[in-house]
Amino acid sequence: MNNAEIELIYTALAECIARVGKAKTSLLLATLALDLLSQQPDADAALERILQAERLANI
Amino acid sequence: MASGGRETALTPAETGHVPVVIAGGGPVGLTAAALLAHHGVSCLVLEADASWCDGSRAICLSRRSQEILGWVGADRSLTAKGLSWVGGRSYFRDTEVLHFEMPSEPAERFAPMVNIQQYYVEQYAHAAAVRAGGVDMRWSTKLRAVRAQASGVHVEFRTADGGSHCVHTDWLIACDGGRSTVREQLGLQLEGTQYEGRYVIVDIEQNTRREVERLAWFDPPSNPGSTILMHRQPDNVWRIDYQVADHEDPMEAVKPENVLPRVQAHLDMIGERAPWRPLWISIYNAKCLTLPSYRYGRVLFAGDAAHLVPIFGVRGLNSGLDDAGNLAWKLALVLKGHAGDTLLDSYSSERVLAARENIAHGAKSTEFMAPPHHGFALMREAALRLALVAPGVRSLINPRQTSPVEYVNSVLNQKDHGTAFAAGARPGMPAPEARLHTPQGLRHLTALFGTHFVALYFSRNPHLPRYLEQAGAASRSDPAALRVVRVAEQGAADARTVVDELGQAWQRYDAVEGTIYLIRPDGYVMGRWRESAAPVDIDGLLKEALKEPHEQRRD
Repeated sequence: MNNAEIELIYTALAECIARVGKAKTSLLLATLALDLLSQQPDADAALERILQAERLANI
Repeated sequence: MASGGRETALTPAETGHVPVVIAGGGPVGLTAAALLAHHGVSCLVLEADASWCDGSRAICLSRRSQEILGWVGADRSLTAKGLSWVGGRSYFRDTEVLHFEMPSEPAERFAPMVNIQQYYVEQYAHAAAVRAGGVDMRWSTKLRAVRAQASGVHVEFRTADGGSHCVHTDWLIACDGGRSTVREQLGLQLEGTQYEGRYVIVDIEQNTRREVERLAWFDPPSNPGSTILMHRQPDNVWRIDYQVADHEDPMEAVKPENVLPRVQAHLDMIGERAPWRPLWISIYNAKCLTLPSYRYGRVLFAGDAAHLVPIFGVRGLNSGLDDAGNLAWKLALVLKGHAGDTLLDSYSSERVLAARENIAHGAKSTEFMAPPHHGFALMREAALRLALVAPGVRSLINPRQTSPVEYVNSVLNQKDHGTAFAAGARPGMPAPEARLHTPQGLRHLTALFGTHFVALYFSRNPHLPRYLEQAGAASRSDPAALRVVRVAEQGAADARTVVDELGQAWQRYDAVEGTIYLIRPDGYVMGRWRESAAPVDIDGLLKEALKEPHEQRRD
């Protein structure tokens, strides 16, 4: 994706989070994450993504 | 800060009729005055303050702004005093997550950006206006009333001694800032949105040896949860902007006892240990507002009086100077009878389009720098963390610095003819830069712009076609004059020939033998012809596009 496309999806997701509200933000993001993880080539790649997100969240 | 000098109050005998009144002697008003004077139009400038502004205010001048100030010779003082820079760094906590550089090349005419206090810009623009002559500058003069009429504008103002005066002007240019009196007098409202997130702006004096670049910290250890921006300015001054929490009272936030500890903590964090003192403190929230038109009969709006854009990306003063640069030559053509007043509608449409584009970019920057809701706040948290490991998302942190706006679909743009250009600048885009040999040595192509129309004729043949020899011979004066310049590939430069030994111009204009570019006095491409088999009637198309008054009568 080019920079403009990255920006477009960034904004779209930010607006989507605002629309569902704080109470449902975790559910929204978990659903989205599971969908995207299921499209990874294999479980190892998906698990690597999960561990990276965990590391970044704990910074 | 130096004093701006004070002229004596007007005597009744001095009141009467002036061709142009400029309301507001800030950077945009003074630049407009200097540009008009450069084009031979005199004006009266009314400024409420006694002198140049207090506080450094807008500090980043773009390459385009430097070019515009260059048209009136104000660029030399500006670049000599200012601190030029090409890029910046952003940090998440204390780790660098972005290093950006703006387009830049060796031996360029102007750096992409120069930092300088606004009062210096005002001082240099004022000096340029004085040099050009014909500018009547009135400090400590308050605009009282504006009555727009079909034949002109009636302007009432009060001088420092309390005396009331009135003057009738053909054209009033409102450059009187965000709280414009002219706008209020005409009952006009800015349209758009305001953002809640607030930034404290503080200037401090401190010696430093740090490189000149834009620095940004997100959630720095010195001020957890905040965002901090830093810019160096001349005279050992730092500009520091930091975001205040949503629950903080703005009145409290600007009190020195609340500001200074935060600044101290950050200076400690980055290792700037020299003694320092605060110079100026202000507070800011992002606004995306514009008038729907910048022309109301004989009243024209420019700068903050016309539009307010977020500070992120530095589009405020820079777009104001572009307004002045777009308006001055058009108004001069109208006043000198070389164009119908509809030309001023193109000022409005081009610059409203620019404001809307600036607002779109500014809004995007604001969504990152001062997230307007928890969706953007959360996404920023994610993007900053991900930027540590995923270079692909780092562009989200880029501050999207100002760049000149393309005047898409402007009525002045001439349709491309003949074989298609694969590159180069379309009509409505700023004409590209190039370094060329001239009789004075290596010079920049953009230095030709700012005074009149320029036709660039790319040719290896030292003899201009007859029709081009004759173009521009019509008895027009600045800025309606047309200067034809041949861009040769090699050979000797002379008064009408520049030599593109480096090959930059031919490449950047996508030129072949016989290519012609017509450049407006403000350095924008108006038309281009890649291979001109038939003669291009430049004088004729200028007449048509500018709607010279006799053309209008014939219609």
